[in-house]
Amino acid sequence: MAKAVKDLPEDIQKIVDVNEWDMRTREGIQRFRELKAKSLPSVALDGDLVYESLIPMQEELCGEILRRYDEKNEDS
Amino acid sequence: MESNIKKQRFVYHTEGVCPPEIHFHIQKEDLNEVRFVGGGCPGNAHLVSRLMEGKPLNEVLEHLKGITCRDDTSCPDQLAKAIIAAKSGELDPAPSFQVLTDSSPRNRIGMIGDLAGNSDALEILIHEMRAKEVDVIYCLGNLTGNSSNNKNIIQLIRKEGLIAIQGEGDWRYAHEEPDGGSPYHEHKVRDYLFRLPHVLSFQMGRKMGIAFFGEYIQNLPGFSDFDPFALEMNMVCGLTRFMQDETVFPALEAMIPQFKAQIILFSQIKKWGYRQIGETHFISLGPVSDDNGLSWGLLETRDEKIDFRIINSSLSTGG
Repeated sequence: MAKAVKDLPEDIQKIVDVNEWDMRTREGIQRFRELKAKSLPSVALDGDLVYESLIPMQEELCGEILRRYDEKNEDS
Repeated sequence: MESNIKKQRFVYHTEGVCPPEIHFHIQKEDLNEVRFVGGGCPGNAHLVSRLMEGKPLNEVLEHLKGITCRDDTSCPDQLAKAIIAAKSGELDPAPSFQVLTDSSPRNRIGMIGDLAGNSDALEILIHEMRAKEVDVIYCLGNLTGNSSNNKNIIQLIRKEGLIAIQGEGDWRYAHEEPDGGSPYHEHKVRDYLFRLPHVLSFQMGRKMGIAFFGEYIQNLPGFSDFDPFALEMNMVCGLTRFMQDETVFPALEAMIPQFKAQIILFSQIKKWGYRQIGETHFISLGPVSDDNGLSWGLLETRDEKIDFRIINSSLSTGG
């Protein structure tokens, strides 16, 4: 798994579940197709394909996770 | 729903009896899907298989052990030996699919797609391919179909020394319960199809090739994503939908460096097609016979370059 995703800060890890799919497997391929991804590596947040062909810098990824977290909590 | 307890498939090579192989599954401690393959008395073998289906191994062994027919053994006795060997770990589980390796390096390969039991077409194409001096002819399934000529196809393949793999239709036919009126040769056809390899590997220059029919192989019991050539099959069948979904080609390109094979042949979609991505060649085989007449594929290597052509036959099966 990419370092930016693996080593997320503890406060971020508390609010997310991280899943990695292995593209060599049928399960990984199925997930890839469900997300309508096209290239590797890809990162989806809450089922939305957010990053394609790149793993973002950790700050950027954390920012996006927090933005979505806040948005969700605002709604509820 | 299928049980979580893994079903293991075994193939036992017999001694002293007519069928050269016994295929069976063990799930938990029960015996399933026994099949005596390649000879013997199909009626009695079928009866043994039905009687033993789903029975605990210990109970089965009591019935099978020590029965003699000839040479101090019998089909039931050989099955008992096979079960004991499987239980003790002497007999390893068989892989979910069988890979045949064509050990001769090839320069010029003639390829035949869906035959569907059309033995007249096969005869014509063999003649044409030989005239074009192919090194070898590969039949990549389906060999058989809803035809009365299935037996002739198999006889031709054997007589002419063609290399054949199983297609999904062949697999179904091989696994069908024979109907009451099945003549003896029907059993022989089914046994032949049953024993066909599922995947063929071959060599052209420095490139390794594989040929397989399609995605039914992924559904065979025990298929693992980490079996040899499973990656190539997963990418062709699952990711790219037989190379028809171009949007995912960037992902395919990223996975290709992990491939063992650089030439990949498949025939499930029954449509001719060719793609080269990097140094990897993907070839979809069309049917032998369609509205345009008869056709076959020619794969050649020259100076390490791969060339693929569809050859339309000048002859037809008539009628």
